[in-house]
Amino acid sequence: MIRKLALIVVLAAIAGGLVFYVLTLPQTLPRDVLAAMPDGDAARGETIFWAGGCASCHAAEKAQGDDKLKLGGGHVLASDFGDFVVPNISTDPQTGIGGWTAEDFANAMLRGVAPDGAHYYPSFPWTSYARMETGDLADLWAFMQTLPAVGNDPGPHRLGFPFNIRRGVGMWKLLYAGSEPAVPLDTADDKVLRGQYLVEGLGHCGECHTPRDFAGGLKKDLWLSGAPNPEGPGRIPNITGGEGGIGSWSEADIAYYLESGFTPDFDSVGGSMVAVQENMAKLAAEDREAVAAYLKAIPAVDSAQ
Amino acid sequence: MKKTVLALSIVTATAVAAFAADDPIAARKAIMQGNGAAAGVTAGMMKGEIAYNPAAAKLAIASLNAAAMTFGDYFPEGSDMGADTTASPKIWEDPEGFKAELAKFQSAAGAAMQASGKAGPADLDAFKAAMGPVLGTCKSCHEGYRVKN
Repeated sequence: MIRKLALIVVLAAIAGGLVFYVLTLPQTLPRDVLAAMPDGDAARGETIFWAGGCASCHAAEKAQGDDKLKLGGGHVLASDFGDFVVPNISTDPQTGIGGWTAEDFANAMLRGVAPDGAHYYPSFPWTSYARMETGDLADLWAFMQTLPAVGNDPGPHRLGFPFNIRRGVGMWKLLYAGSEPAVPLDTADDKVLRGQYLVEGLGHCGECHTPRDFAGGLKKDLWLSGAPNPEGPGRIPNITGGEGGIGSWSEADIAYYLESGFTPDFDSVGGSMVAVQENMAKLAAEDREAVAAYLKAIPAVDSAQ
Repeated sequence: MKKTVLALSIVTATAVAAFAADDPIAARKAIMQGNGAAAGVTAGMMKGEIAYNPAAAKLAIASLNAAAMTFGDYFPEGSDMGADTTASPKIWEDPEGFKAELAKFQSAAGAAMQASGKAGPADLDAFKAAMGPVLGTCKSCHEGYRVKN
């Protein structure tokens, strides 16, 4: 009897392992999507680079001017799961991604899969970039080829068990990942849709402004309604029209804030939003207006607390 | 106009001095409200919503300059909590860094004061050139030394 029970336990464990293995297989992009990726335009890619906020994490902290283009990594993102160490994405072939192909880059950005097939943690916001168009991705890649190589190995993430098991991210992906819109918008307004693309995709605003559940998945029913500050005291503000949010701001107010860093009360931008605002200031005025139109179009959610 | 500015700054300075010892948080909040109002008039003129006026421009610059000279005095030990302060604990953990930010504010505001001369910046472009660097120091300091809720 005990033998039989032991056998059942062993078989169940093997079956469980197999199921886990299959479920957590990395899902790379289909070949036809990769093959259809156009050649990129580096000049257009620069806009994508700023809209995507790449430098805010991958350049050195407080970097100014051309130093924002040195993407050697090393910044640490503290979280409940441990410390995520931002990698080097400069063109350095040894410590950066100088050895990557455009296809490698596309799989990383749209699927969160590394060239060796490993899953990326969602600390890298591929979860948002998954909504990017492949044309923009090709442009971004072309621009990144023009940036300097930085020799710097920031080392691995420092995560506790079980979060240090990368394969587990495959399960997380089944639950949370996808390229569908974060909030359904019943609109055909090009301006709002452009704003949606900038906010939900490139700008990855939801990664900080939306609260997360116990497993780190975004609570989409509370989209952009504010969240605890992952880097210390205070909260990341509610940017919907709900209570505690920015319902009293006009679209012009939002666009002006993104351009100048001043709120309607002429308080200034602060904290980690400073780097984001400075990126937004580099975009075309129509893009900031599109972001504003989108923020006015999404469901108003009251702040927690 | 000059007299008004002078009288205003004296009134502000006296009022701040009277309360500051008892309530540094209220004092520094009042100074920041003044800065916000100065930035509001500034932005209004820069955006063309308020017609450019050299005297008003000078008032905004002088007010920010006065704030730059006094603001740093209202962060004594123990004033890091309470009264809904949004001052970051980093002000007390890294006083040198905070001082360096204040110094940026002072030097930018001082230079703007110099540039504005007796009657205030002659035109909007001169005002933008003088005030731009001052406004840039707001977020430079708020990036690391303020916590928002």
